[in-house]
Amino acid sequence: MSKYSVIGTRVNMVGGTDKVTGNAKYTTDINLPGMLYGKILRSPHPHAKILKIDTSKAEKMVGVKAVVTGKDTIGKKQGIWRRFPELCDEEILCRTKVRYIGDAVASVAAVDEDTAEEALELIKVDYEVLPAVFDPMEAITEEAPQIHEGVELNINVNRHIEWGNVDDAFKKCDHIREDQFVCSSQAHMCMETHCAIASFDYNGKLTVWTSTQSSYYIQVLLMDMLGMREGDIRVINPYTGGGFGSKFELDSAQFCASLLSKKICKPVKIVLNRMEEFTATKRRTPMYYFLKLGAKKDGTLLAKEVRVITEGGAYTAMGATALYLTGFFSSFPYKYPNYRYDGYRAYTNTQPSSAMRGFGAPQSTFVGESQLDMIADDLGIDPFEIRRKNGMTPDYVVPGQAFIQSCGLHQCLDKIEAHIKERGKLPPNRGIGIAAYGFMSGGIFNWFDTPYAFSAAIVKINIDGKVDLFTGANEIGQGSDTTLSLICAEELGVNFDDIRIHSADTGICPADLGAWGSRQTLMSGNAVKMAAADAKRQLMEFAAAKLGVNIVYDLDIKDGWIHLIDRPERGVSYLDIVKATIRGKDGETIIGRGHYTPHRKGMISPAYSFGIQAAEVEVDPETGKYKLLSATTAHDSGQVINPVGIEGQLEGAIMMAGGYGYCEDQPTENGRVLNPAIGDYQLIRSLDMPETNILEIDTYEPEGPFGAKEAGEGLTNPTAGAIGNAIYKAVGVRINTLPITPEKVFRALKEKEKKEKK
Amino acid sequence: MKEILKIKVNGQSHELLIKPKTLLLEVLRDHLGLTGAKRACDSGACGACTVILDGMAVKSCSILALQADGSEVMTIEGLASGNELHPLQKAFLDHGAVQCGFCTSGMLMSSKALLDENPNPNKKEIKEGIDGHICRCTGYNSIVRAITDVVKGEYKEVK
Amino acid sequence: MIKDFELFTPKTLDEALALLHKYRDECKVIAGGQTLVLLMREGLIIPKYVLNIKRIPELSYITSGKDGVRIGAATTHRAIEKSPVMKKALKVLAEMERRLSYIETRNWGTIGGNLCNADPAGDPAPALMALKASVKMASVRGERTMALEDFSLGSHKTALEPDEILTEIQIPVVPPRTGAAYDKFNIIEGTVATAGVAVSITLKSGDGVCDDVRIALGGLARTPMLAKKAEKVLRGKKITDSLIKEAGQKASTEAEPISDISASDEYRRELVKVMVARTGSEAFARAKKA
Repeated sequence: MSKYSVIGTRVNMVGGTDKVTGNAKYTTDINLPGMLYGKILRSPHPHAKILKIDTSKAEKMVGVKAVVTGKDTIGKKQGIWRRFPELCDEEILCRTKVRYIGDAVASVAAVDEDTAEEALELIKVDYEVLPAVFDPMEAITEEAPQIHEGVELNINVNRHIEWGNVDDAFKKCDHIREDQFVCSSQAHMCMETHCAIASFDYNGKLTVWTSTQSSYYIQVLLMDMLGMREGDIRVINPYTGGGFGSKFELDSAQFCASLLSKKICKPVKIVLNRMEEFTATKRRTPMYYFLKLGAKKDGTLLAKEVRVITEGGAYTAMGATALYLTGFFSSFPYKYPNYRYDGYRAYTNTQPSSAMRGFGAPQSTFVGESQLDMIADDLGIDPFEIRRKNGMTPDYVVPGQAFIQSCGLHQCLDKIEAHIKERGKLPPNRGIGIAAYGFMSGGIFNWFDTPYAFSAAIVKINIDGKVDLFTGANEIGQGSDTTLSLICAEELGVNFDDIRIHSADTGICPADLGAWGSRQTLMSGNAVKMAAADAKRQLMEFAAAKLGVNIVYDLDIKDGWIHLIDRPERGVSYLDIVKATIRGKDGETIIGRGHYTPHRKGMISPAYSFGIQAAEVEVDPETGKYKLLSATTAHDSGQVINPVGIEGQLEGAIMMAGGYGYCEDQPTENGRVLNPAIGDYQLIRSLDMPETNILEIDTYEPEGPFGAKEAGEGLTNPTAGAIGNAIYKAVGVRINTLPITPEKVFRALKEKEKKEKK
Repeated sequence: MKEILKIKVNGQSHELLIKPKTLLLEVLRDHLGLTGAKRACDSGACGACTVILDGMAVKSCSILALQADGSEVMTIEGLASGNELHPLQKAFLDHGAVQCGFCTSGMLMSSKALLDENPNPNKKEIKEGIDGHICRCTGYNSIVRAITDVVKGEYKEVK
Repeated sequence: MIKDFELFTPKTLDEALALLHKYRDECKVIAGGQTLVLLMREGLIIPKYVLNIKRIPELSYITSGKDGVRIGAATTHRAIEKSPVMKKALKVLAEMERRLSYIETRNWGTIGGNLCNADPAGDPAPALMALKASVKMASVRGERTMALEDFSLGSHKTALEPDEILTEIQIPVVPPRTGAAYDKFNIIEGTVATAGVAVSITLKSGDGVCDDVRIALGGLARTPMLAKKAEKVLRGKKITDSLIKEAGQKASTEAEPISDISASDEYRRELVKVMVARTGSEAFARAKKA
């Protein structure tokens, strides 16, 4: 018997019927009267000065209504780390210099897409091609061309995390391993590409419909880049076809559409094509790792030293956060008495690398869990035992960094170990590998420099008991509309169907930082819970008066029934009290307000999810090809609010993270992506999708609404590591670079054969 | 030099004057306002534009509209019956087989075409039936479970 | 974006041939268009005229008779996959089709279109070559036939004259005691073959001796090719596991693979060894049962 009526139940997602009937309007589906279509001209060079842009022929072309270049901007650079201007380095529409193949240089609005595309061909750009550098190791040498003025050796960010004394600690270790790994990039591959409709009216007010993870961020960044008043910009988030970290920065579609619309006061729609999506947006940050791990012979980990160089690409974007988080999560989920991390981000003349689901943690988990299995193997210790010995526990403090409250890691270990035991002895060439992980439930940092609470919500109760919930949180397919409606309904004591949610419209919803860093369930959820509680409190005043109960009794609402908690049969209907409250307050609308910002929660996050995943593979030793048979995960996300949602996040994460381990890659040559098309970019489809199982863990996170924490990104962390460890178990070879392709496995097996013959 | 296209979409006949280069997807989205089918890639590889043409699931982005002259097309907008959702639509919702929804129209079209051709597919056949579709959100298994439940008769329409 | 063109939709093959002859230098033939439409969208092919042969009835059929099997060039992949004609040794064609791209592509794309596109890694060519297929081409000048292995001249180049249309694929009668199999290697199911191998083995009566053999490789040279030296290893000999393996080694030396983003040439050579051995064994097993 659940103590909750609404949360934890299986419901159909909010907006689901629109999606299954084709009624859901995404940005690309919206057509406004007088709307024009925009296209963007992009640099063919990885590094060049823009000497001159001649748009005269394009402007004269029949059907072309506006052309913009960098000259039409106010000359600012933007970035997400607004508190640190030196990291705001991207003009989006380049004025003097292009820094990667795909950098935008001009944009055209025309009566239809074909005309706009033809007009691009009429724009003549004179470039002075500059030497370019693509490899971060080369980029940080003296000989490398400087990509941004004033940034020596192209290193624009470095991060350092340290506690204890690793150098002393290594001296005390019985065994030390030093290993190098290379983690590849990855494309977000949202089914909906970046797109925006921007519409300026004749009063200078801008409305933008866009596929985004944060309407608020886009509003503020447009304010920065257009030199406008924040309140004169309204960002609306129609149905959105995925984000995964690619859509909370200001992008070329949004910016160019706004600039074009400004010129002519007509709506302009820009939709990036798939090639632009692969080459001129952002991607997962590739990372080069140097890891040193020291342990006692009983498996106690004493010291870990991590050095990372990341391939930053042409602009900082969210790369500084990925750099920091990979350093922090390299210590997860274990108790290292001594730890040191140094990370460097190098500019390169490639597509900017930024945030992608997991945000540096899939990389750190792959390398960390691989090396941990390696040292366990060296010491003859079982992989579960070494993780148990060193795994984090509730109320652990990461020195100077984080306060872990709830932590279900050990329950997860138990469950997965039992699952593997049940599998029994495996046939030859099959192996099960595990990877443990943890992740943040939103970040505590305010490098965006917002004056607002990180999340806020408004609840309005109508005379018929129906509730309108206003939240700035963005529904991007992950189910936040559903999760937040569940939280609201539970807190208010009404049915799920009584909630109507309005989300991510900056014109009517309070600010929320949006859907990234797996923050919305905890942060937006807390704001929603507070708003619902605020509205409830107003009802309770009148309920208490109506019921005339003794002061020792508490009241609560459940299933539309306001009652004494100790004597639930005594009460009054929620609907009656709503009417009474409105009448009693002179007809005033019942409004509840809530907000949330984490305070004094360390450097990273107010709460952490934990888990462990077991991947089973079967390797064909003659070709190196392997099948992903199954992935079983025990994930601790505290109280489950939206079980259908969590299962969906888990299975979807395995597809994405499994792809990161197995096949997804963007090989480049001289800065050019070689496979910028679906079909050439390999990713997992249904026939190659492994079986997925989720094992329930029961914990309670004090910081989260009803004890909930994240379940979106953390699940992307373990799969690559689990695959790597599984392949080792199956055929005894280890691959230290991602993706782990069949050819790499084949070559490793041949090497192993050669060594064994000697 | 435009030509006349005669096509029946979701049971309704249309006569349109279009350029020969017009894709079937463009006729549906831009000329008929049926925006359920999506353009998500430029290489005919993702499945989001799938519709049912003369009973077969096809990628409307890779077909010249005039090649479908005289044909019957069903799009996602034609799947529900009046205000009653099709069993597949209900199953998708119940199983959480929809997240961002961008692939959903195409996914449902291929699912329907699969069951129309073979009302009793096994698991592999179901996976093959949707293998032409990329879904970045769900991991496919919930979609397979939804279709399986429809095959098992869990959503038998009550007449 | 696709540039404007004029579309012809002739009702008969003769009409089509006349039009193609008239506009031959600026005209592209479209059947299923599963490749052509994409190339036009990318601006890689910009024809002034497009000749639509998709629904010409005389180009879409699968028949079986005393001369073997005949497949109209505009027959869809899916029709071949589902055809009751594809039994016994011909089952290899249904199996090959089942692994070709995805159902939606197969529902509309045609076997003729695939062969004319002449992707070196295409699936149908090696499977058909293993069955000794020929292709028939027609123009206003008449018809001609050639062995399929001579049809592809290079990557995306065929022996078709500018005014010729591929009309039919002909598969001779399959001798008794013949088994054929096709395998392709890719990382994700449904994608283009990194390497494709088709083997057909015909046994002499009862004693496991190979009367005839075909080993066809796809995606391992500029065109699909027959590994003739590998075939020699088996032809006339009693087939054993180690002999099949030897044939695989030999085929590996005959192949001329390239390195690309999918695989290196060395790895492809290794795949040939393994795949010829495995596909050969499967063909042998089927021949014994046939």
